Amino acid sequence: MIGDGFAAVLAAAQRGSEDAFSQLWRDGNPPLLRYLRVIASDVAEDVAADTWVQVVRGLAGFRGDEQAWRAWLFTTARRRSIDEGRRRSRRPTAPLEEVAAGQLPTAPDAAETVLERLGTRTAMAWLAELPSIQAEVILLRVVAGLDTETVAQLTGRSPGAVRVAAHRGLRRLAELLSEAGVTL
Amino acid sequence: MPNFPWPGRRDVSAISDTSLSALLAGAELPTGSPPELRPVAEALAALTAAPIGDELTGEVEALAAFRERLGVPSPTRRARRRPTLLSPLRSARAAAAAAVAALGIGGFATAAFAGALPAPVQQFAHHTIGAPAAHDAAARAHDRPSPVGPNATGHPAYGLCNAWAHAKEHGTAMQKAVAFRNLARAAGGAGNVAAYCSTVPHPGASHSHPAGKPSSHPTPHGNDNGNGNGKPSTHPTPPHSTGKPSTHPTSHGNGNGGS
Repeated sequence: MIGDGFAAVLAAAQRGSEDAFSQLWRDGNPPLLRYLRVIASDVAEDVAADTWVQVVRGLAGFRGDEQAWRAWLFTTARRRSIDEGRRRSRRPTAPLEEVAAGQLPTAPDAAETVLERLGTRTAMAWLAELPSIQAEVILLRVVAGLDTETVAQLTGRSPGAVRVAAHRGLRRLAELLSEAGVTL
Repeated sequence: MPNFPWPGRRDVSAISDTSLSALLAGAELPTGSPPELRPVAEALAALTAAPIGDELTGEVEALAAFRERLGVPSPTRRARRRPTLLSPLRSARAAAAAAVAALGIGGFATAAFAGALPAPVQQFAHHTIGAPAAHDAAARAHDRPSPVGPNATGHPAYGLCNAWAHAKEHGTAMQKAVAFRNLARAAGGAGNVAAYCSTVPHPGASHSHPAGKPSSHPTPHGNDNGNGNGKPSTHPTPPHSTGKPSTHPTSHGNGNGGS
């Protein structure tokens, strides 16, 4: 997150400053890719690139604070990833929750995990073991930095359902890590 | 009931609200939290760690998209570009092309003078920048082997005068300045512009159109308002304004009837 300087950076980018836009991109792209690599791993890079193109298109007209900016960025990415999924698989699409864990990165080797503690990639791989909605809610709350209400709007669920998904997801994560013998 | 063992499975008791909030916020776990939550906190911290690997590749592409849409060329770059653009412009024909390009309608203008636009658009181009009219453009399209610049058939000044008239009415200050400078150069000085444009023959000679006459406003600082010059006096009539169907479908007659 950019923080206090966000409004100034956004305004400069809207006036055409490449440095300011670069700052927005460097702040936003890593979390965006982490989110996409867990929820749509095989199209993550394409979707991220498309998302920025679309964001650039709407940038001049965007109004809002950093929460709203992040919400817009991730909403755009989420829509793109859903479109992309529909386009690529001619098969009937399963709801996100039912997408098998097999498509996602495999859980890391426990021994390796303990040795190197938890790196970002390892953490992403663990998260990908969760049911999709749980992983998505945790990513949007933690990685995108969005609050419960925003995540609820973004995923089309009630705030209560979002809280439950976060709770279950973290509990499941604790179980998985515990089973794998990850202790810290 | 038989017991199906889940090897290695360990149940984690419900996470308290305070622990949950702390985890999601990346804050320190409250004292007394179950030890199983520590690896979870660690995993979530790793998810928000500094960029790794290729997470910052792709910036060039994003910047290119940004530049195309919102980018402002730096003043030095713009200042340098101008002379290189204008220095090779020796002929009035090339100057006309530059004037049109300066209005940001370069590709459009080229297509217009090649007679390559759809008829209504071609007609618009005919009025605004002096491209051939839709019908004679179509007729000419096949007997002229290679489409060329603005002055293929017309006087070289026509494009310049029209570009100036158009810029004066619709353009930005910058477009006005560029269009006028190009015109003044071709006319041999700002003072000659009026005379220069008053003698310009219209390229589509068989059709009379109000040519955009900048002659009455020879300076770039002239009043832009209330000047009807250059606008077509007639507008194409929509085909169905006269031939109305004698009967109307009745479906919308009953307004808000729920069908």
